[in-house]
Amino acid sequence: MDTEVLMKLNNVTKSYVMGEVTVEALKETTLDIYSGELLVILGPSGSGKSTLLNIIGGMDKPSSGEIIFKDRNLSKASDHELTLFRRNEIGFVFQFYNLISDLTAGENVELAASLVKNPLTSQEVLTQVGLADRIDHFPSQLSGGEQQRISIARAMVKNPTLLLCDEPTGALDYQTGKTILGLLKKAQELMGRTIIIVTHNTAIGEIADRVVRMRSGSIAEISLNESPVPPERIEW
Amino acid sequence: MKVLTHRLWHTIKGSLGQFLGMAVIIAVGISLYIGITTAFFNLGQSQEAFYKDNNFADYYFYVVRAPESIIRQVEAVPGVTLVTGRIQKDIPVFKDNQERATVRLTSYPLPIENEVNSIQLLDGRLFSEYPADGGIEVLVDPGYFDANKLAFGDTINIVAENKKYPVKVVGTATGPEFTYIMKDASNMVPDYETFGIMMVPHNQSQELFNLPGQVNQVIVQLAPGADIDQAVKAIKDILAPYGNLASFPRKDQLSHAALDAELSGLDAISGFLPLIFLSIAAGIQFVILRRMIKTQRTQIGIMKAIGFDNRQIIFHFSSYAIMVCVVGATAGIVFGIFMASVFSDMYAMFFNLPQAIGGINYEVILYSLMLSLGVGVLAGFTASRPILSISPAESMRSLPPSKSSRSLLENLPGFWNKLSSSWKMAFRTISRNRLRLLLTMAGIVSAVALLIVSMFTNDAVDYMMDQHFNQESSYDYMLHFNQPVKESELLNISRLEGVELIEGIFSLPVRVHYNSRTSEDLLMGINPSNTLKHPAKENGVVIPVPDEGVIISRKSAERLGLKVGDAVQVETLLGMGQAHYADIKITAINYQLFGNESYVSLQQANKILNESNLLTGAVMKVDSVYASYIESELSDMTGINSIVSRQKERDNIMSLMDSMIYMVSTMIMFSVILGFVIIYNSVVMSFNERKRELASLLTIGFTRKEVSSIMWKETIPQAIPSILLGLPAGRLLAELYFGSVEFDMWYMPVIIYPSSYVLAALGGLVFVLLGQWVAGRGIQKLDIIELSKNMD
Ligand SMILES: Nc1ncnc2c1ncn2[C@@H]1O[C@H](COP(=O)(O)OP(=O)(O)O)[C@@H](O)[C@H]1O
Ligand SMILES: [Mg+2]
Repeated sequence: MDTEVLMKLNNVTKSYVMGEVTVEALKETTLDIYSGELLVILGPSGSGKSTLLNIIGGMDKPSSGEIIFKDRNLSKASDHELTLFRRNEIGFVFQFYNLISDLTAGENVELAASLVKNPLTSQEVLTQVGLADRIDHFPSQLSGGEQQRISIARAMVKNPTLLLCDEPTGALDYQTGKTILGLLKKAQELMGRTIIIVTHNTAIGEIADRVVRMRSGSIAEISLNESPVPPERIEW
Repeated sequence: MKVLTHRLWHTIKGSLGQFLGMAVIIAVGISLYIGITTAFFNLGQSQEAFYKDNNFADYYFYVVRAPESIIRQVEAVPGVTLVTGRIQKDIPVFKDNQERATVRLTSYPLPIENEVNSIQLLDGRLFSEYPADGGIEVLVDPGYFDANKLAFGDTINIVAENKKYPVKVVGTATGPEFTYIMKDASNMVPDYETFGIMMVPHNQSQELFNLPGQVNQVIVQLAPGADIDQAVKAIKDILAPYGNLASFPRKDQLSHAALDAELSGLDAISGFLPLIFLSIAAGIQFVILRRMIKTQRTQIGIMKAIGFDNRQIIFHFSSYAIMVCVVGATAGIVFGIFMASVFSDMYAMFFNLPQAIGGINYEVILYSLMLSLGVGVLAGFTASRPILSISPAESMRSLPPSKSSRSLLENLPGFWNKLSSSWKMAFRTISRNRLRLLLTMAGIVSAVALLIVSMFTNDAVDYMMDQHFNQESSYDYMLHFNQPVKESELLNISRLEGVELIEGIFSLPVRVHYNSRTSEDLLMGINPSNTLKHPAKENGVVIPVPDEGVIISRKSAERLGLKVGDAVQVETLLGMGQAHYADIKITAINYQLFGNESYVSLQQANKILNESNLLTGAVMKVDSVYASYIESELSDMTGINSIVSRQKERDNIMSLMDSMIYMVSTMIMFSVILGFVIIYNSVVMSFNERKRELASLLTIGFTRKEVSSIMWKETIPQAIPSILLGLPAGRLLAELYFGSVEFDMWYMPVIIYPSSYVLAALGGLVFVLLGQWVAGRGIQKLDIIELSKNMD
């Protein structure tokens, strides 16, 4: 595995002020993300996984701390700079697919492709997710798993450096969930993409190169996985 | 039930913008309804009461002179219930400032109460038949009194039978035939300064005009259901020996016609104007509720599972619409009462009605409450119907993404394939929500059409003024002599310094006979080479006057069914000497906008009377620098009966138009509000529906600006065609409105200038921009973090 650091988080915190109460969603967190790795962030609900992922993906700004992405300090980036960062470097996949219901599968992918200078072709990514033949279908005509695959294709077409997935299997059945994980693994292996998966499902940790365990807003443990298990072999 | 009430508040708070938007539209609709209907009711009621109290005449007969004894004979005609004989004549007044005015001197036998067209004293005291000082006491209409800054006890110098008489003003009064005081239909608006009504005791007028024991008008009231034609014919026969100059029914009486036209106009708009607003509000309520029910399907299922029954849930959702209407109606009633009082003030200014027009009309308010609740109930219950078919078990399953349908445009692959993804998305979203599209378009079309309607009266009046003052005639003054004079007499006037051009006219009142039907008309004799006054074609182009033949008025042409080439007989109605008869051929029809006279050559007019080179008046153009000098010189000339200044006429019209500015701007504001709310609602609904989708675009790396441009793309294809469609719709609405107003004294064309279309379209763009902008601010608050709020 490549050990070049893609992103560095130094003492990053995030707290939400709600009237009198301040919720420390993320306590001082330091984490390096390596280029080309598959990182799984595990933890119970409310432990701050999404908060951490959103900060990594430039969706949210930290309350304090430093984020360095390829020598750029993102902690001081403006909203517009963050938008450009998301546009050019990040692909997002959510539990709910959030596809544009009025665009076909192909058009959903093209819409994302239209944002960047050197996108992959939508035909290409749809073939990768195995849905090339559904290019003209609307989201309403696809199953949940298929919609999630389109959403992965939409994230990948921009050829992003980092693919961030927040509970990508959360809304899917066991078998479909495993297919999705297989796709993500393939994207890492074949395309050399850096992938972060957030999940509360500990079984998924087995496919990772590294596992980050979170508990009440901070990283409890980071463990290296010498021999990741192929997704089709894990069970939960 | 408390929970549901709480939930209702919550829903209202969550959609406050839309809620208030709908309420405002309801408020506008209701306030228009109350304002207009109250004005209509009150004006109509006060007209009716006034007519009844003062025995408003059903028929008028003008004769040269007749002995008072014929009144008994007319009374004996079957169907006639009340008869009054009187003397009425237009006579000159010399004002202290050397200016001229004309008053319509009208006589009243005492006691007045039981006579036809009696009068009501407004201020001061009634005249006495034999004042102690031996003079003459008169009443005048309040308009003339105020405009000429008179005071009780003041003396006015009038001229009767070429003699000057001082008369004393002792009071002001009005009568049912004086509700709208204009000299004749050739005036657009009243001019109180130069024309008024003067009321005198009958005995005094008989002396003034040297008509002892005689009258020159017989006015009657007919029994309801009487055979009017029969009675009129019998009366005409009685009056025939006395020179029947004119006879006409109530509907042709000028002030009545003006008042009725206003009433029919109010009646027309009292229906359709509020209807537009209320039905669009109902439409918005409907689509909002339908959407709400769709997205809250699961919650409705849960409510059912807990044990609420359909009735309770339907009532709960309908109460949203009903609340909108209650809030809207409350605001509408407050504003409507205010509008009603503004309208009333306006009508009190226009019409001389003794009873106050104002006042709150509780009946109308009750109707408006019922109307708005009806809208809420109707929209609420029809929209809530789908609640019936929601089953608790099924509703728990999450709804698949909303079905997308292909846009009709996809049948044009050449066009469709060129579109970017965001345009495709916009077109599909639009075509998925057909009902909303229809509503949004109907709303924009109505709003733009109303903008046109608000502005077009200005254009029509402007056009008419241009026709009237520049095309059909371009003189500055029109004079009428006391009696016909030789053409050479004009020289005296043309010698005055500053007179640029003077042209003689001969105005000859006639009765036109055709196929045993008749129409009273005025022949305007002018020299064919004259340039200061013309008849005109329908399109406003002037028609040259032929040496022989007549250019007949539109009014007579329509009444008698005349066409070019027909020959008619004219009977002169000069009021002195024998009537003359002549047969003349119609060479054209005069579509002049005002006055609507028939035109002949001077020579032809003289020939009818077996005279030559006579004139009854003149029109003249003057150098404006000398205007006041010429005016005062003319005022000093005794042979002149009246002087009409066109500048005054123009000023009067302009000030009337100025007083309409509030109405016009209110209507423009209402139209913009309507357009704004409809766009706002459409954008907000579409936005709420797709919050997640749009947020996901932000995560991909779209900027908020780009997302907002996607929303724009959805609005533009709905807004632009609707705005364009609104322009002809506005014209249609204007035509419908004019078609509903019956006033055949004037011929009001529907004229809409291109600039008004441009302004209306710009107005449309303004409310689209505004609505989109306000609704689109949601995009700035769109929270992308929401997307990671998973159900883990
Ligand atoms: N916008 C917010 N406002 C307030 N508290 C928040 C917000 N987002 C997250 N939190 C809180 O931060 C904590 C971590 O949340 P999150 O990162 O979503 O956890 P996870 O994804 O691990 O379930 C939780 O306690 C949550 O309630
Ligand atoms: Mg989470």
